[in-house]
Amino acid sequence: MTSRKKDKVQEFLINLCSVLTIAILVGIIGFIFWRGIPGINLNFLTRQWEERTTYVNVGEYVEYTDSETPGRVERFGVTLEIAGDGVAIAGLDSSSSLTKGVDGAGSVYKMKKHDIIEDVDGYSVEDAYEEWQEGGGQDPEAFLAQITAELNALEGTSHRIKVMRPGGGIIPMVVTTLYMIGLCLIIAGPVGILASIYLVEYAKPGPLLNVIHFAIQNLAGIPSIIYGLFGSLFFVQVCRMQYSILAGAMTVSILLLPVIITATEEALKAIPRGYRESSIGLGATKLQTIWHVVLPGAVPGILSAVLLSIGRIVGESAALLLTAGTVATIPGALVGSGASGATLTIKAYTLMKEENDLQTACAIGIILLIIIFILQIASRWFSSRLLKHRGQ
Amino acid sequence: MRQKVRIHEKIVETLFLVCALVGVISVLAIIVFVFYKGLHPFFGEDPYSFQEFLTGTRWAPGEDTYGVFYMIVASVLSTAGAIVIGVPIGLMTAVFMAELAPEGVVRVMRPAVELLAGIPSVLYGAFGLGVLVPSIRKISPLVQGQSMLAVILVLAIMILPTIISLSETSLRAVPQSYREASYGLGASKIQTVFKVTIPAAKSGILSATVLGIGRAIGETMAVMMIAGNPTAGLPSSIWSMVRLLTTNIAMEMSYASGRQQEMLFATGVVLFFFIMIVNGTLLFLTRKSKEEQK
Repeated sequence: MTSRKKDKVQEFLINLCSVLTIAILVGIIGFIFWRGIPGINLNFLTRQWEERTTYVNVGEYVEYTDSETPGRVERFGVTLEIAGDGVAIAGLDSSSSLTKGVDGAGSVYKMKKHDIIEDVDGYSVEDAYEEWQEGGGQDPEAFLAQITAELNALEGTSHRIKVMRPGGGIIPMVVTTLYMIGLCLIIAGPVGILASIYLVEYAKPGPLLNVIHFAIQNLAGIPSIIYGLFGSLFFVQVCRMQYSILAGAMTVSILLLPVIITATEEALKAIPRGYRESSIGLGATKLQTIWHVVLPGAVPGILSAVLLSIGRIVGESAALLLTAGTVATIPGALVGSGASGATLTIKAYTLMKEENDLQTACAIGIILLIIIFILQIASRWFSSRLLKHRGQ
Repeated sequence: MRQKVRIHEKIVETLFLVCALVGVISVLAIIVFVFYKGLHPFFGEDPYSFQEFLTGTRWAPGEDTYGVFYMIVASVLSTAGAIVIGVPIGLMTAVFMAELAPEGVVRVMRPAVELLAGIPSVLYGAFGLGVLVPSIRKISPLVQGQSMLAVILVLAIMILPTIISLSETSLRAVPQSYREASYGLGASKIQTVFKVTIPAAKSGILSATVLGIGRAIGETMAVMMIAGNPTAGLPSSIWSMVRLLTTNIAMEMSYASGRQQEMLFATGVVLFFFIMIVNGTLLFLTRKSKEEQK
């Protein structure tokens, strides 16, 4: 009787722990979604992160339409509205002169919906807006009419507009993350795959093979902050790359080697010996056998390894923080100044740490979770293909 | 023609070998660079006392004081706490998946555990910051929620997937005949699990634990925001703020230069030392279990 009671208690404990594990997972994902969902909207997904102010020279609009819409500024072919923090563009005619502006550097600057007009020919819309706000913000229609009247009454045919494009979007981080994935796969992919081919197909058991395996096992055990330290010393300082996406990608590539090599080795080992022997027996060279017989069969396994690595790149933070920096713009070069860029994960971290903005961090977290989830499903699909192959 | 093919093959083989050696070169480079930079401040002109570095309990770069002892203590205690909480929960979950759960439940749980492993550590940090720290603040005798307890809980959660998946594999590797023999002697299912299966899978579970230790002691970003990172003082209770070896590096690396930067590398060397112990133990365990299998 007592032993049965003990059984019951132990079984209860086992079930409790399993439920706890699942509850933790649901709790974490639930928390991220609960805090992050309010921060996700179209602007968050499509805008640049930093707001940018530009002076643009524009001409006049030629196709007058005599529209009576409130907020209409006929001379530019544009409709204005009062948006969150200023007077913003609500709509542009397709041939509006604001779409053909030229900025200070002489390149075309196309204004878009939601851009905020701050100043036109010295008439400060921004000041007028602030004054109106301080006065209580009464009667927005009248205020908008006042602004449009002022703008329509301007003289001359060439105008200089100070325009502010609002930020708050994750586009630069998405692009940086994609760059980072691309660079890491270009560097670590071939090295990792060729290394596994050597280990499985060429290497003979002996000290060399042991040393290589020992090194790879150790690489897998080194925490990413140590990779970060190494990267910040070697790539950033010694190689003079500065905080840049290439320095980050090189560092993460080393970190990925064990992931790719271990998984690819498994995939190659799954190809039956007989395949290789029959190919050699038919007169193929070793290389031909690898290229035409072994690799095609191992493709699903290799792809699953690649997807696994993408997951690591997307989630990596400590190593990138010390090598690629935290700048929230699209990097303009591989190395040097202007090449620094924050991936989504790094941005989520800096938002929490420096700006105390948990909501936006969680909104980025939702994007990350969705990416990880898709990658894992795809990876599982590929490895089940490999298992099927093995079963044949 | 044949000669040409042979040369061609030889070149390609050499290329493969070079790729395989990249891993070896990387390990060597990491060790050499981190150790060179990290040991530099203790030698040469105006050396810093190595003993003061290892035993000091205050980190004040402005006053040229660098003591990491309180970080070592914090790292070791937090890791130990995470193991004490995480291993039993993980092992029990693994037992459930390997021994008790119906196939359908396992098919749901395994991807769930994988997902837990795939969540970026920054998001664990967000969870800690948004959920654990505020809750701890409510029950803590101190004013802040950032504490060793928060660190322990987050680390315990983070090592769960490692513990679960490795333990499950080793539990499943226990031959069915062991269990049948136990049933034949009249033992119940639960008795068999605790008296036969878990002891038989001991070495795998131990490896999982060691791997968990490695993950916990090296974790940086998840614990960065919930540790508090004080500039001095040994942790006096689970409620006190801690600065870990890893967070010390990540906190200051972006702006440090000169001796401060070298001292951060020295912190990395200390961390590396712990990782080497963990890796060595792991290697020893896997070699031992391989011998046992033979």
